[in-house]
Amino acid sequence: MYQFDYHRPTSLDEAAQILSQDDEASLLAGGQTLLPTMKQRLAAPSQLVDLSGIAELKGVREDSGQIIVGAMTPHDTVANDKTVQAKIPGLAHLAGEIGDPQVRNRGTIGGSLANNDPASDYPGAVLGLGATVRTNKREIPADDFFLGLFETALDEGELIKEVAFPVPKKSAYAKFHNPASRYAIVGAFVASTEQGVRVAITGAGPCVFRVPEMEQALNSNWSADAIKDIKVAADDFNTDLHASADYRAHLVTVMAKRAVQAAG
Amino acid sequence: MTRRGPVFAPDDNAAAPARARPTARHKGGVSETAPHDSALRHVDGGAKYIDDMSEPAGCLHLALVTSEWAHARITGIDTAKALALDGVATVIAAGDIPGENDMAPVMPGEPLLPPEVAEYVGHPVAAVAAADFETARQAAKLVEVHGEPLQPVLDLDDAIAREHYLLAPIVFQRGDPGPALSEAPRRLQGGTRVGCQDHFYLETQVALAVPQEDDEMVVYSGTQHPTEVQHIVAHLLAVPHAAVQVEVRRMGGAFGGKESQASLVAGLAAVAAAKTGRPVKLRLDRDSDMLVTGKRHAFKLDWDVGFDDDGRILAVDMQLAGQCGWSVDLSPGVLSRALSHADNAYYYPHVRLTGLFCKTNTQSNTAFRGFGGPQGMLAAEAMLDAIARSLGKDPLEVRRLNLYAAPDRLLTPYHQTVEHFRIPEMIDQLVASSDYARRRAEIDRFNAGNDVIKRGLALAPVKFGISFNKPEMNQAGALVNVYTDGSVALNHGGTEMGQGVFVKVAQVVAEVFGIDLTAVRATATTTAKVPNTSPTAASSGSDLNGMAAKQAAETIRERMRAVAAEQLEADARAVTFAGNQAVAGNKTIGFGELAQACHQARVSLSSTGYYRTPKIHFDRETNRGRPFYYYAHGVAVSEVAIDTLTGEWKPLRTDILHDVGSSLNPGVDRGQIEGGFIQGLGWLTMEECVWDAEGRLLTHAPSTYKIPTARDVPRDLRIELLQNAPNEEATAFRSKAVGEPPLMLANSVWLALRDAVHACGPGGRAAALDAPATPEKILRAVEAMRP
Repeated sequence: MYQFDYHRPTSLDEAAQILSQDDEASLLAGGQTLLPTMKQRLAAPSQLVDLSGIAELKGVREDSGQIIVGAMTPHDTVANDKTVQAKIPGLAHLAGEIGDPQVRNRGTIGGSLANNDPASDYPGAVLGLGATVRTNKREIPADDFFLGLFETALDEGELIKEVAFPVPKKSAYAKFHNPASRYAIVGAFVASTEQGVRVAITGAGPCVFRVPEMEQALNSNWSADAIKDIKVAADDFNTDLHASADYRAHLVTVMAKRAVQAAG
Repeated sequence: MTRRGPVFAPDDNAAAPARARPTARHKGGVSETAPHDSALRHVDGGAKYIDDMSEPAGCLHLALVTSEWAHARITGIDTAKALALDGVATVIAAGDIPGENDMAPVMPGEPLLPPEVAEYVGHPVAAVAAADFETARQAAKLVEVHGEPLQPVLDLDDAIAREHYLLAPIVFQRGDPGPALSEAPRRLQGGTRVGCQDHFYLETQVALAVPQEDDEMVVYSGTQHPTEVQHIVAHLLAVPHAAVQVEVRRMGGAFGGKESQASLVAGLAAVAAAKTGRPVKLRLDRDSDMLVTGKRHAFKLDWDVGFDDDGRILAVDMQLAGQCGWSVDLSPGVLSRALSHADNAYYYPHVRLTGLFCKTNTQSNTAFRGFGGPQGMLAAEAMLDAIARSLGKDPLEVRRLNLYAAPDRLLTPYHQTVEHFRIPEMIDQLVASSDYARRRAEIDRFNAGNDVIKRGLALAPVKFGISFNKPEMNQAGALVNVYTDGSVALNHGGTEMGQGVFVKVAQVVAEVFGIDLTAVRATATTTAKVPNTSPTAASSGSDLNGMAAKQAAETIRERMRAVAAEQLEADARAVTFAGNQAVAGNKTIGFGELAQACHQARVSLSSTGYYRTPKIHFDRETNRGRPFYYYAHGVAVSEVAIDTLTGEWKPLRTDILHDVGSSLNPGVDRGQIEGGFIQGLGWLTMEECVWDAEGRLLTHAPSTYKIPTARDVPRDLRIELLQNAPNEEATAFRSKAVGEPPLMLANSVWLALRDAVHACGPGGRAAALDAPATPEKILRAVEAMRP
């Protein structure tokens, strides 16, 4: 029978300590990916370090004009948080569109970002808003965080503590979801910020990415029409059982337009 | 209801004289909406499924070892590591089967466990029995299967191109379509395709085999066909049929998926139980169930049709290529029913229909609600759509023009004359009640003014033949026992899968005795009580078993009538049964009291009943005859909206008018219509089975395979039962079968999607939209339709 040790530390330092002593140890956040993977025996960590006992990782607060979301905050909390709803409605909407109620009550932002599934939603908001990922070691800007398929800038033993979202002038998320899993086939997050417009696309390619042509067009004209003829190349997009690469490329433009319209 | 059918006298209590005093009616007889017999227990958990039964002491659990190749010669199975695991009792493979290694329902040659060749990814080649399921599953992963890969044929097009058939093609022909096609003023060639569909019953496949004394075996099997499981287990174990008893109280959905496929699960459990002498349970988890068991046949449907300038069909030559998967299974029946429904409600003056049994190295496709009929019918509807579009006409007009019609346009491609055809009047009624004409004009106006959202509207009729295509399968038995307190135990060959056959047949029995439904108990289906039954399939459960139970109950009632006549000092002809008593003039005796009196008088209160469907015959050499006792009819009008930028769509409204004859239970019938329609909607729009290039099924869980939910149902769904429409044939209280026909009402949704796509272009041709019509396919069809 497959065995592992289970820990539930109460501080970040304690968690990092356990992690640093065992290469085969794994962090457990909401468990929405890790637990099914373990059940399938596709992952077999020697130790599970459950982060749910660390109080400082939970919750949403406002600080210096930014919205700070703790790594262990469930999607449902973000979706229903009054401050998030008022300041960054696009982010609240995105969190409310993830999976189903069970997933939203267990899954966390930290788990989602560290996993960086190409079809997950949160990378869209983090990159689209130009957020900063704060770890137990450093601060990582969104543009440097997402490196590739299931790959991030996190080092061995590095834990996400929280994510700092700047408040944009406006933002919205539009998603074309898989009807069965509700994962993003294509999700477009658009934000108009003090530094300019950002457009981030998740679901379509191996990793979330920005669309500079759309950002430029929207900087000069914030309207869905401004980007209606901007097509992205389907070259490295995913073709799988859910959609073809061409269909995903087509949906990028449509979803970006919808997001701009929704942002108003 | 505008139509007036012939009026029939109620056909029981025929001897009742008019002077009998009025009596309170019993509750829950025929035509009442009595709740499903397990309705409350389904909700509160009291309804026990096989996996809920207490496991007998020492029960072992099975897990499957399956092929990772789509096609391979098996050179060895190494079980040493698995057997070394603590808790593992045994591993069974082909060599462990004491009798004949075959589980085929129709044509021999389908081994329970393959001795030589694995035919698809997921093909069970061995099974591990262990003290608990987790151990069995771990051990199954330790079994090493060695094999030499062989060339597989994975998709339908490849199988068609190579003429890779399991059986020779079947042909239905009437007249001479060749010359008629060449001479027709207009001619179109086209086609469509439709994918596989998983049954997705909520209860997965399950069996519990319990060895008895000597060589006897009791098998609790989630099967629609206990008799077939009995026969297969008997020959697997090399014991007589009488040594095997198969029982099923209920299934959590089946839809045809537990007709032939249940034999694999029950057979493996029985072989392992016989080998170990211990009880053995096999319950497939969802992934295994989807990876191992067969689905609805995918079809490639191609036609060549000749017609006149009005759109009246003159000749049809159609090819229906069915994807059978690796084995014959029930494909002969499926193909036969596909061909016999490729006319749907339309008359083809000259016709040739060719059915191909395409073999692919995939799961063995099998029975699924409609049994090929839906695919055949879809070909007809797509062809009618294409004809109408080529002429620039509303498809409804062309459909009406081609309906079967008296006096000389009534002969089907299988040479049965259509009788009692209700579709024309039903279309008239539904066109009026759904406000079709006004909405058609309104939608056309909307579409002219909107580029992004396009709406579609379509009407589709359904004419579905009732009876198994094989005449010998149309028979049934029942056993009715009246006890001395007047309570009644009912048993018959029908299996309960949630569809309500138990309550309907119990209503028939309650009606015959004139007693409340609560006095009648339906008991678990078992081969020990009613032998040699047919599967509960082909929509026939209530028709066949209702009549068998009616006959059994009538036999007992006539014996009781004689005793009642003595007790009431009346002429036997004057005795009636109603309101829980026997009545003659102003004298009555309670039903229980009468039962007690019968016992005192040494009159038997138990009887079997037997029924065989009259009038039917079919020659499988010529494919001619009267395979169907009667037809069930339905008509649906659906409206949808599509987003032409993404292919997303929404059902807006569906109106249904369905013909159930004189309903035995309007509530249950309505449930079947609603559920059938929604299952059909899933089949045609969202349920998609996808295999990779190595033949692995990728969609084997609800995370990747989308079935419709409450959110996918049209918000405006109006279902009416055709009123005052007793079956012209002498079925149980003039009712009609309802299990399968409503599935095809969803054709209207698919046709409405095609109508919306059609509105994106200048017209002149039908939308190039196959099924399932997923958003990506709709978008492609829109782009192909644009000028």
